[in-house]
Amino acid sequence: MNLMISDAGDMPAPDQLFTLRNSSGMAVTISERGAALVSWLAPDRYGRMADVLLGYPDPAGYRDNSVYFGAVIGRWANRIAHGRFVLDGAPRQTVVNDRGNHLHGGPLGFHALRWQGEGEDGEVRLRLVSPDGDAGFPGQVEVGVRYLLDEEGALTIEYEAVADAPTPINLTSHPYFNLNGGMADVGDHMLQVDADHYLSIDATGIPIGVAAVSGTAFDFRRPAAIGARLCWPDAQLRMAGGFDHCFCIRGRVPGQAGELREVAKVTDPGSGRSLRVATTEPGLQLYTGNYLSGVRGRAPRPYARHDGFCLEASAYPNQINSEHAAAVILRPGQVYRQTTVYRIALQ
Amino acid sequence: MSTPKTHRVALLFNANKIFDREVIAGVADYLSSTRSSWDLFLEEDFRLRLPGIEQWQGDGIIADFDDPAVAAALADSRIPVVAVGGSYENEADYPARVPYVATDNFKLIKLAYDHLIEAGLRHFALFSLPEAQGNRWGQEREKAFRALMRRENFEVEIFRGLSTSASSWDEAVQQQIAWLHSLPKPVGIIAVTDARARQLLQACMLAGIAVPEQVALIGIDNDPLARMLTRIPLSSVMQGTHEMGRTAAHLLDQMLHGVRLGGTRILVPPAGINVLTSSKHESTKHPHVMRARHYIRQYACQGIKTDQVAAYVGISRSSLESYFRRELGCSVHDEILRFRLEAATAILARGDCNLVEVALKCGFTSSQYMHLVFKRELGCTPRAYQQRATQDQPESCLPTSTNET
Repeated sequence: MNLMISDAGDMPAPDQLFTLRNSSGMAVTISERGAALVSWLAPDRYGRMADVLLGYPDPAGYRDNSVYFGAVIGRWANRIAHGRFVLDGAPRQTVVNDRGNHLHGGPLGFHALRWQGEGEDGEVRLRLVSPDGDAGFPGQVEVGVRYLLDEEGALTIEYEAVADAPTPINLTSHPYFNLNGGMADVGDHMLQVDADHYLSIDATGIPIGVAAVSGTAFDFRRPAAIGARLCWPDAQLRMAGGFDHCFCIRGRVPGQAGELREVAKVTDPGSGRSLRVATTEPGLQLYTGNYLSGVRGRAPRPYARHDGFCLEASAYPNQINSEHAAAVILRPGQVYRQTTVYRIALQ
Repeated sequence: MSTPKTHRVALLFNANKIFDREVIAGVADYLSSTRSSWDLFLEEDFRLRLPGIEQWQGDGIIADFDDPAVAAALADSRIPVVAVGGSYENEADYPARVPYVATDNFKLIKLAYDHLIEAGLRHFALFSLPEAQGNRWGQEREKAFRALMRRENFEVEIFRGLSTSASSWDEAVQQQIAWLHSLPKPVGIIAVTDARARQLLQACMLAGIAVPEQVALIGIDNDPLARMLTRIPLSSVMQGTHEMGRTAAHLLDQMLHGVRLGGTRILVPPAGINVLTSSKHESTKHPHVMRARHYIRQYACQGIKTDQVAAYVGISRSSLESYFRRELGCSVHDEILRFRLEAATAILARGDCNLVEVALKCGFTSSQYMHLVFKRELGCTPRAYQQRATQDQPESCLPTSTNET
């Protein structure tokens, strides 16, 4: 593995780009802006390289990353109902930016900020300080993210955070994958998720209950093509315009992190590429790019709905307002930790 | 918790075919994952018989609609019906007012074609089958192939041949051989089913046409039986049959609970592609090397030696070795071993157990020697390989080990 550092964007503060490589020719580029995964070149069955991530044509695009391409999301990934929660008895109000709810740290969340990056010994480390009151969250939080690429095509993302006052915290990585490299949408990708339950949502994306996947379009315990499932008559899918739902990973205490293990697999029959996701988190949000339509990216045409999918490992959406709230509060003296691994390989 | 009502459901399929069997397996998978309780009606020999079906006192039907007679018989059904079949290019060919779960014929052909073009081929042909009531999917695959060829400005080359019968077998094979000879080489051929692909592969062998050097071949169905009956492992496109069965069961389940689905239509794309030797075309090889590999591929498991390969090619052993070094970077013996290893791993992956038998079946002189080759080439013992392969079945649930990273 070697590392290349280059400059991108305009003066005065260009965002550095870092590239991790392995001997099979894989190259993962990470930007200081949002600590974002900018591109991931990986070979297909025939040895042809293609970018398996959606992204902006130019690094400056990540400064106004309205769809969160590849970024690290914080201080709170996913939604908080009405942006409100009660912490140690005190009511709090955060920024509201999605149908009356808080989403992904607000418009100036971690994804929009410039992180301090450094690359050495085949890894990239990025740091960020989120001040007290950031997006309405209490306390200063120091966050570190570390990316490593191994010879088997596994990209490990390790997160660490400490706070000087109690605060809700929930981090995730938000890459949009398209394993065929953009030749077609992700409808033919076969998805498998290790979950017996998912969180059903209301019209604004807030969980309203734990639902069994059995007998529904959400049963991915055996591999199924995403596109065909999107056609199942299902009120939840209709409401969200596709999948935008959190799976409860099997074997986890609800809302609690656990051992790092593989929880999902996606394969693309055409290219032969596969993605495996391993994580310590209890939730895995499947998002099928329901609002991608018209976003200008690296492809010659603007992106269309379902051109990419996300598998975002994290705590549950709105968990801070649930019975499992304690698990998502970071207190002084504690360290928040998460490990999530995306591995791209051939089937 | 109330006990769910048991529904009586008929599955009208010709489950002597792998496609129908797998769709039924998908239905079963859906049922085992839900609280729905169905009494299933199937003919004892799993064949489809229409007479009397209108008198059947049941709650719902899932039927293979490939045969128009089935569609006609169920057109006025008073009970809910979900149709399973192939996709159609022409909207009007779908049955009216019935939920329909289809295998996407265009995507099946497209996946096979994309594979062949990536393998470096520039001539393509389709081996179809004679038109009949029960195989409209055959014509749909022809339409898909025709559309693809026109789009890419390639000549459309489709051969239907004779339908399979014992009395016309010789003639059928002769026609296939004549067709194969008439094609520009190298050519990539898509067969509309694995059963058709198997016949064509046999015709190639009889005619001495090298597969995959002269003819690269891929079928559809990923049928293990067809694969077992060919000497050269057959590449194939896997249909999304299990998912079709699950989808059809879900739709019927909804209807049994009063949901009206009307003409809901769900197209299921292929589930994958199993790339084996028959389509592993490599475009620029010396004819001597091609001929030698053709021989090795067929007889590696019968204990052949380098001398026999050289004799077959008709050149000296030393010049064959130098061609191999130059073109493949290995010796003739290495290549023979590679094919033996490939054959052995295929058997082990199926779960066969006697290593001595596996070694002999694959042309190794002893099981100790096979052990040695495994250690050297794969870094593990045959047993360890088998354990890994049988644990990592594509249909099994995700592994729960923590060392996946």
